Amino acid sequence: MTATEERQLRRALHGTLQSLSPPSVPLEAIARRGKVIRRRRAGAAVGAFALAGIVAVTSLTLRGSQLPAVPPAAPVVTAGPDGAFASGTADGHPWRLAVQNIADPGYRCLPAIVINGTDADPVYPAPGNAASVALGQAVRGMAFAFIQLPAGVGGVIVNGDQNVPAVIVNACGYRYHLVGFSYSLTGPLRITLAKPYPGWPADVFVPTLTTPGGSTQAEGLWINTYTYTAPGVTTSATLASGTLPGGQGWIIKLQFGPGGDCYEFAQNSLGSAQMGYCGPVSTPAGPETIMALPLGFGAPGVGATGYAVPVSPGTARVRAVLDNGSSVLATPRIVDGRRYVAFVVPSSRSLHRLIWLDAGGRVMASTTAVPQYGYTQFQP
Amino acid sequence: MTNRRDELAAVPDVISTEGDEDFSAFATSRWPGLVRLAFGLTGDRWLAEDMAQTALARAYVAWRRVSRADDPDAYLRRILVNASHRRFRRHRVVEQPGDPPETPVEGPADLVGERTALLAALRQLPPRQREVIVLRYWADLTDAQIAATLGCSPGTVRSQLSRALAKLRESPVLAEGDDA
Repeated sequence: MTATEERQLRRALHGTLQSLSPPSVPLEAIARRGKVIRRRRAGAAVGAFALAGIVAVTSLTLRGSQLPAVPPAAPVVTAGPDGAFASGTADGHPWRLAVQNIADPGYRCLPAIVINGTDADPVYPAPGNAASVALGQAVRGMAFAFIQLPAGVGGVIVNGDQNVPAVIVNACGYRYHLVGFSYSLTGPLRITLAKPYPGWPADVFVPTLTTPGGSTQAEGLWINTYTYTAPGVTTSATLASGTLPGGQGWIIKLQFGPGGDCYEFAQNSLGSAQMGYCGPVSTPAGPETIMALPLGFGAPGVGATGYAVPVSPGTARVRAVLDNGSSVLATPRIVDGRRYVAFVVPSSRSLHRLIWLDAGGRVMASTTAVPQYGYTQFQP
Repeated sequence: MTNRRDELAAVPDVISTEGDEDFSAFATSRWPGLVRLAFGLTGDRWLAEDMAQTALARAYVAWRRVSRADDPDAYLRRILVNASHRRFRRHRVVEQPGDPPETPVEGPADLVGERTALLAALRQLPPRQREVIVLRYWADLTDAQIAATLGCSPGTVRSQLSRALAKLRESPVLAEGDDA
């Protein structure tokens, strides 16, 4: 390494990292996260008290049930080949939680937890991973949650009177100990371990949705926590990039992981304008999430809306028809076994229709219900 | 919508004591540098902010000890690097750089192209080599300081640095240096 090379590397690295403009320091979030760590340590130091539960059911609905807590019984149940680990009826609607491979056929297995076969939440062997989801109008007033437990805990007790046993699910070569349940959005939610576990507090933290029915934008989007483990990102990839008519470069990136399908639409230079948003993860046979990311590019009147759509395995092209009749033809990009299309619509135009095409150019599906901001879901 | 926000929504979030005020000043001053360091280690802006938050949260929990340390920054760097290691251990991280942006790389004057090329080159390095490069040429640490941060020997730092630089010579960033 010559001195010139070292200077060059130092200059490039400083230029690159200094060009990044971090947001203001999130003091409250840091304090909250610190207090979670402190609370967790305190819980571990004091020691959790043993609670009782039973292993008798693989499905239940919390609302209206008044079963008393009784001592847990091992072993836990093993799920069948369909990966279902919890099911029941909530507010008259059947629900089912299962672990399913959400990769396109022929690609490496990609496990995720799905609710009624759709709205996936990528899952990895990480005890402590917990998440909840609401389905909006489909099941009003109720939400659904799962928790990954360490082996040997046996299950959880919900609100002091509901025993939910852990179910072993084998998927994609991994083994998971999962509990799943439904809960009312209007009541409290307290989750207690059936047995103490080193390093864990007696009460398990589950991120809850508090708005009855959930907001429109939150429907189908899993809210995850990794209180006892670190969060992770499985895939980061560029879906598309290009140049606007005015010469501004753009790029749409994907981050796929426990947070869902998260996208970043940015002007193509570090530290400049960007917008990020996460949406529900589509399953191969489920509804497709259409994500819209409007972004100003700094100069007055200059901007665009980035669109990203995870598409079903049979999709060969997606045609985006604009309000003036012109169209953009987008080809899917395969990332980690899943297909995505991405494109931009300049701010002077708007997206009118999306058309899914198969390999023969035949129309598979079409919709005009496209968002201008955030996401909608569409079943082709 | 961020999951992290929801995850912690139920926990009190008051910074009120004298020690907390000291911590606030400390965190505010270190935040930009931590995010940039994490970005150099990961190449991922969102993850960088998350890692910087993790590092500061852990410093917050151990604030009495951190505030009395001879070098609180060394403590922060160590937490940050450990957070990065946990990320690789706990999760199968698949980084796919994807297609390069369409912005052409036209030479030293094209800073965007240079930065893109540098990030792409760093992503190709194994995590330990990437850490050594960033800690040396961004944080300007000595071999001994890097070794203390990474929990290895200075000899390991030198060998990792040598291997990393050999790989980076193939990148356009250093190729431009040859012409200079």
